[in-house]
Amino acid sequence: MKNGENYSKSRRNFVKGIGASLLLIPFLQFCSDKIIQLLIRLSGTNHLLGHRLWIKDFPKPTSQIHIPYLIVGGGISGLSAARQFEKKGISDFLLVELEGHLGGNSSNGENQYSKFPLGAHYLPLPNFKDKELLQFLEEEKIIVGYDQKGLPVFDELQLSFAPDERLFYKNNWQDGVVPKEGNSKDQDLELERFFKLMDAFRIGKGKDEKYLFDIPVYLSSNDIETRNLDKMTMKEWFEKNDFKTEPLFHYIDYCCKDDFGLGIDYVSAWAGIHYFAGRKQDANSDKKESVLTWPEGNARLATHLKKYTDKKTLKNHLVYEVKTENNKVIAKVFDDVKKVSVEIVADKVIMATPQFVNQYLIKDRKEYTKDFQYTPWLLATLTLTNLSDNFSFPLSWDNVIYGAKGLGYVYDQHQSLNQIQTKKVITYYYSFSSSDLRKTRKELYKKDKEYWKQFVLDDLKIAHPDIENSTEEMEVFLLGHGMVSPAPGFIFGEAKKQASKTIQNSIYFAHTDLSGISIFEEAFHHGINVVNQILDETTLDS
Amino acid sequence: MGKKFLKFEFLLLFAVFIIATCGLVYELVAGTLASYLLGDSVKQFSFIIGVYLFSMGIGSFFSKFFHKNLLNTFVEIEILVGLIGGLSSVVLFLLFESVEYFQFVLYLLVFVTGFLVGLEIPLLMNILKDKVAFKDLVSNVFTFDYIGALLASILFPLVLVPKLGIMGTSLFFGMINVSIAIVLCFLLKKELKNGYFLKAKAVTSFLILLGVFVFSDSILSYSEGKLYGENIIYTNSTQYQRIVLTHNKSDYRLYLNNNLQFSSTDEYRYHEALVHPVMSIAKSVKHVLVLGGGDGLAVREILKYKEVEKVTLVDLDEGMTKLFKVNKILTGFNQGSLNNPKVTIINTDAYIWAKSCQEKFDVVIIDFPDPSNYSLGKLYSLNFYQTIKSISQPDAAVVIQTTSPYFAPKSFWCINKTVMQVFPQVDAYHAYVPSFGEWGYTIAINGFGTTFNQVIRKALGLKFYNYQFDRFNYFTKDMISNEIEINRLDNQILVRYFDEEWGKLQ
Repeated sequence: MKNGENYSKSRRNFVKGIGASLLLIPFLQFCSDKIIQLLIRLSGTNHLLGHRLWIKDFPKPTSQIHIPYLIVGGGISGLSAARQFEKKGISDFLLVELEGHLGGNSSNGENQYSKFPLGAHYLPLPNFKDKELLQFLEEEKIIVGYDQKGLPVFDELQLSFAPDERLFYKNNWQDGVVPKEGNSKDQDLELERFFKLMDAFRIGKGKDEKYLFDIPVYLSSNDIETRNLDKMTMKEWFEKNDFKTEPLFHYIDYCCKDDFGLGIDYVSAWAGIHYFAGRKQDANSDKKESVLTWPEGNARLATHLKKYTDKKTLKNHLVYEVKTENNKVIAKVFDDVKKVSVEIVADKVIMATPQFVNQYLIKDRKEYTKDFQYTPWLLATLTLTNLSDNFSFPLSWDNVIYGAKGLGYVYDQHQSLNQIQTKKVITYYYSFSSSDLRKTRKELYKKDKEYWKQFVLDDLKIAHPDIENSTEEMEVFLLGHGMVSPAPGFIFGEAKKQASKTIQNSIYFAHTDLSGISIFEEAFHHGINVVNQILDETTLDS
Repeated sequence: MGKKFLKFEFLLLFAVFIIATCGLVYELVAGTLASYLLGDSVKQFSFIIGVYLFSMGIGSFFSKFFHKNLLNTFVEIEILVGLIGGLSSVVLFLLFESVEYFQFVLYLLVFVTGFLVGLEIPLLMNILKDKVAFKDLVSNVFTFDYIGALLASILFPLVLVPKLGIMGTSLFFGMINVSIAIVLCFLLKKELKNGYFLKAKAVTSFLILLGVFVFSDSILSYSEGKLYGENIIYTNSTQYQRIVLTHNKSDYRLYLNNNLQFSSTDEYRYHEALVHPVMSIAKSVKHVLVLGGGDGLAVREILKYKEVEKVTLVDLDEGMTKLFKVNKILTGFNQGSLNNPKVTIINTDAYIWAKSCQEKFDVVIIDFPDPSNYSLGKLYSLNFYQTIKSISQPDAAVVIQTTSPYFAPKSFWCINKTVMQVFPQVDAYHAYVPSFGEWGYTIAINGFGTTFNQVIRKALGLKFYNYQFDRFNYFTKDMISNEIEINRLDNQILVRYFDEEWGKLQ
């Protein structure tokens, strides 16, 4: 209750409070200097099992399963396909997944204090004309109704709570992730010019009446001038448009790494601009740039989709060969628990797997798939006894450190309703943006956990100098192929087009790498579209 | 002889260096304390520096009246500077409460320190004038003087205050100052008259400073007592907050984390206004829920209605509710309400508890701390009030303490507007509580079965509330604010309003 006296009557009490607490600092420091043993664990996607695709030393199949529809891969694309089958009244499908759980990049971990994401961790508010996504969100009670203007009302508990973003810039935390406080006049003007350009791209349409930038990507306009943006890097686009300021570069570099894994030096300018222009920010009237988020990240969305695959899923099953034979598709699958192989015979197969995997499963695909690049990611979840900084802006959901190597961290308990957290859990993100991602990936698996521990702590120390003393546990999670990376020429290139083509009306492809950008909406629509395509063709056949 | 003299000169110059460092540290300590206590740091620092330099000038002027025993005087001044400078922050802290008096002492201390430091340089030059060429003398003395000043001004904010605190810093430098005097006493034995006496003085001063340094903890707790300006009769740190109870004449005051929670002389106004409007208009009062209010004072008022069968009180802090169950003075205030068999106490997070609560209540009384941060802001959100509605009976009455409509009209009406989104009937009212100022509440009814003016029952023996609700819900122009947003978890606009409005008053 009631700060009345404190503020209204006596300013002195307040300032005295500060004086007294300053005096207390040395004594408090004395108490807290006990050494905490830091527990560290290193894990990642099941790359050991995955890499057996190189040598394929699997036992011969000993049994057979017959099923009309087979979905390979339990990420969002595969799960969304399963949902669409059910929506269309089809339940005779089977989903096969290499990992012991479903979700792919939308997976999560959990410790004593909080759930935490092991990959994608938020969904920006959908575009208003994306009715399928709106419908899904409504089904799952993420949209709780529509207002008088017909705009969706989102569940307050699932929108990111305030304060949602802060940036450590010039030794202070500031509100929002765009560098603002302490810029020169010129820098501010450039940032303003950039955002004006993005606003124009956001509403801009081509001659074909389509948005220049849209989600899903395939809905975007054919406008040549815009598509040419895919031929240069974001950095080159900056130079061409006479952008020079460091804070702008840093901010856009952060955005690009956040969505595509690649920084401005390597990412396609079309993709970089799509980050700002693809989302129309028209789904609500006040907080346009809000996001939906959950402690476990997008694993929440995966959980909603999972219910459509109940009792129709084989986990810990690695598909190692897919081929057509007598109008059927044969998939050979290795059961990693029982250590036996099975043969699945299906009418139609949906490959909801990334192309770097498909090249080992299906014959003669390497020529299309060699141009697909994937950025490795590192995620580290830290359990902290406390998280102190200079208190210039309170702990937010997304916390970005200017000049750090990584992308900052997410406060995993931010969506909690509790007043107090005994321990704080944060997840640090790092994308290995480089010109040679293969080489980087090899190096990634050579380093040990001590190396990564120090790497993460050193990066966080920029804003939290004493974080090492308050870290109790660190869980490092490596993703060798974190997400598809839209280097110049990829999104509108030949490789993507070829790899998307259906094989003999029976093997279909659905994955975000066929969009070129790895976001939930792309996967969600791939799943829906591939099922619609199969069913349309089947109706035509019959 | 030459070598020995070099040592002599070096020693004294080293002393100059230390004096300059210490002198500036005392000045910075005074400036920092003054800006903490009196505000307006630019003004305070400016005044302190001015007075300090001016008093150094006075000191220099008076140095010409010293003729004899210059070295002795030098050492004595050294001791005096250490003692006065070193103890200055302690003295200032102990004199927190009386501001006019405080300012006088502050500037007196600054003046005395400046005066003594001002005396020293000319004295030293007098001591050395026959031994060193004038040109070298002036150049060396001032070089060391200014280097010392630089060192102090860099060390002070970066190392000293963070590591030692303000009090520790001044005491520490007092000790350095005096130890130079001690060293001088021993090394310049032959040059000094009455060496033993001087030594004794120096060592005693050192021990005093050391003693204070060691016991600064207890001095701190004593000065905390002074901080409240009243006698502290009880303190307790629970897991969540620091509880301090003070007593002054017939008035007891309870502070939580230095925020006044209640004053025994007028809390009845606050609690009668909080409890009796809802209790009188609710269709039924059998089962009452109190969120926050671990002091049991609201419960005391609730229990004045015999119809009440059960009171459920949810407060995060077990230390708080326990204290108000067992402490003799405190149970005197709440009349043992928390020990009443009708009362069930649940120590948990109210939001989380309400989310999973299966019961429904006839009356809900919400007495949370003001929304001064994002954690507390959640307890005033749209979703929170929706949760409260879900545990309210039809026609249940709900009241929320909603900060001051006079000091924070935007915050006040923001909460009111947010509640309006949820409950069918909502109104606001306010009462004057002298220790808080004008204080306000939002009241709601979960249905249309009753109105705010319909008094269904009354309790006897109230001192403040007269059951005429329409006497309390009129707001003058200076307590109204329009064009405010609804407070949601994803905007927490209330915390921003609150910060803006209360922050302005600081």
